[in-house]
Amino acid sequence: MKKIINTPENVVIEMCKGIAKAHPEVEFIEKFKVIKKKEIDQNKVTLISGGGSGHEPAHAGFVGKGMLDAAVCGDVFASPSIKQVYTAIGKTESKKGTLLIVKNYSGDCMNFNEAAELAREDDIEIEAVYVNDDIAVKDSLYTVGRRGVAGTIFVHKIAGAAAEAGKSLAEVKAVAEKTINNVRSIGFALTSCTVPAQGTPTFELGEDEMEYGVGIHGEPGRQRMKIKSADELAKTMVGQIDEELELKDQELAVIINGFGGTPLQELYLLNNSVSNEIEQKGGKIYKTLVGNFMTSLDMAGASVTILKLDDELKGYLDAEAKTPALKI
Amino acid sequence: MDKITTKDMANIIDIMADIIIENEVHFCKMDSAAGDGDFGMSLAKGFKQLKKDWDELDFDDIGAFLKSCSMVIMEYCGGASGPIWGSGFRGAAKSAKGKEEIGLSELAEMMQAAVESIQKTGERSFGVGAKVGDKTLIDALAPAADSLTASAEAGEELLPAMKKAAQAAVQGAEKTKEIPARLGRAGTVGDRSIGHPDAGAYGVGVIFTGIVERLSK
Repeated sequence: MKKIINTPENVVIEMCKGIAKAHPEVEFIEKFKVIKKKEIDQNKVTLISGGGSGHEPAHAGFVGKGMLDAAVCGDVFASPSIKQVYTAIGKTESKKGTLLIVKNYSGDCMNFNEAAELAREDDIEIEAVYVNDDIAVKDSLYTVGRRGVAGTIFVHKIAGAAAEAGKSLAEVKAVAEKTINNVRSIGFALTSCTVPAQGTPTFELGEDEMEYGVGIHGEPGRQRMKIKSADELAKTMVGQIDEELELKDQELAVIINGFGGTPLQELYLLNNSVSNEIEQKGGKIYKTLVGNFMTSLDMAGASVTILKLDDELKGYLDAEAKTPALKI
Repeated sequence: MDKITTKDMANIIDIMADIIIENEVHFCKMDSAAGDGDFGMSLAKGFKQLKKDWDELDFDDIGAFLKSCSMVIMEYCGGASGPIWGSGFRGAAKSAKGKEEIGLSELAEMMQAAVESIQKTGERSFGVGAKVGDKTLIDALAPAADSLTASAEAGEELLPAMKKAAQAAVQGAEKTKEIPARLGRAGTVGDRSIGHPDAGAYGVGVIFTGIVERLSK
């Protein structure tokens, strides 16, 4: 393992300190591993997200004007605890209530929901939404459902803009859920990630192999296959998202998200292939983001996220955002 | 032994922590077949902290002791294990509140309360609490609690009853091999989990068996 590191135990704390030093508009509460805005607007719905670390810039990089008020950082790939989330809720309370944006994993759901329960006992008005955009996982009534991945960035952006516009907690929750219902993602890995505490790759891939439908924690994908060209990959990914969203004649927002170990050159190249594929399906691209937004440590690979837009979502997507990792 | 005092309970939890720490890697391997492989590590992290904070725990009575354990477990067990095991201990604590010693029937009530508390935590997050057959740790914990209740009603001795309960937990865990996972992280792989026991249920079986073995020495 070659990493820029002191000791594996201090990775998350030292990283968070680095974020706070680079971006003085946020502060880091070390004891509870919470990154929050220094100034909490009392007349705006508070937005909190978080989860395991290792997905940087998610979520701490999206704390700032027009997006999140706080991000709660767990250990690498492990949900933060009830107490951490509960503390974040207390430290960011406003007069308009709090919305938790949770990626749909059992650990995250339980810790965030239990913390919300404690906050309700303190008479804090609180709601939660669960992002589940990853179509690699089959959704059914009998399973825990799809995972939350890069589509979460759109939920942060759109709910954040609605909160900034002074909307009520119920209205912000409704627009967050509308976003969740219209966003889908699929990803692939060219290499495994290496968890600092473990020091070795989580899975092995041959020189000519890739893992398709992969998650963001080094968990297995839908299928292992021989490596494909960017155009072939774009065709498969856009095709599968099209089956879910029916892209024809729709206005769309797209994220080409790197998993941490893939250069921008390849992400932009993939965007060219994906854009062509979307246009062939009759979809109209309104906005595209290319970069590392929801990573999986040092994994090479990328995901494609597509959001179906209407006028309300377009308005919130275009609104100002000033955060370390996204400025619009 | 026909009663469990606060000191006995502290001994039992200390044994439990040792077993969990000894089995850290083993439990992770059991979890990686169908889950995300972090169960052993997450659970051990909380119980290592419990041993570290041991002198700061509350030894006033069984309820107070278990409640102080629940606070550490909830905070330091990673992932879903914190809320699940923390709420189990919290439920048990509430049932044993103010008691300095308990007999078999109270132990049975305490275990039933732990099961119920875990189910309620699941219900708050997912709209439905795990039942036997959902391939979670409830598959081992509920039969163990039921076995204690039956033994109490039959007027059996404490230690033999605990041994029976441990066997019920192991059998319950064994049965999870045959069913697909629906809840928890393994829920995303569904049928691919057939053939592997649920790691949580398996862990409960190993822990209970170990406790009874060491208490019998």
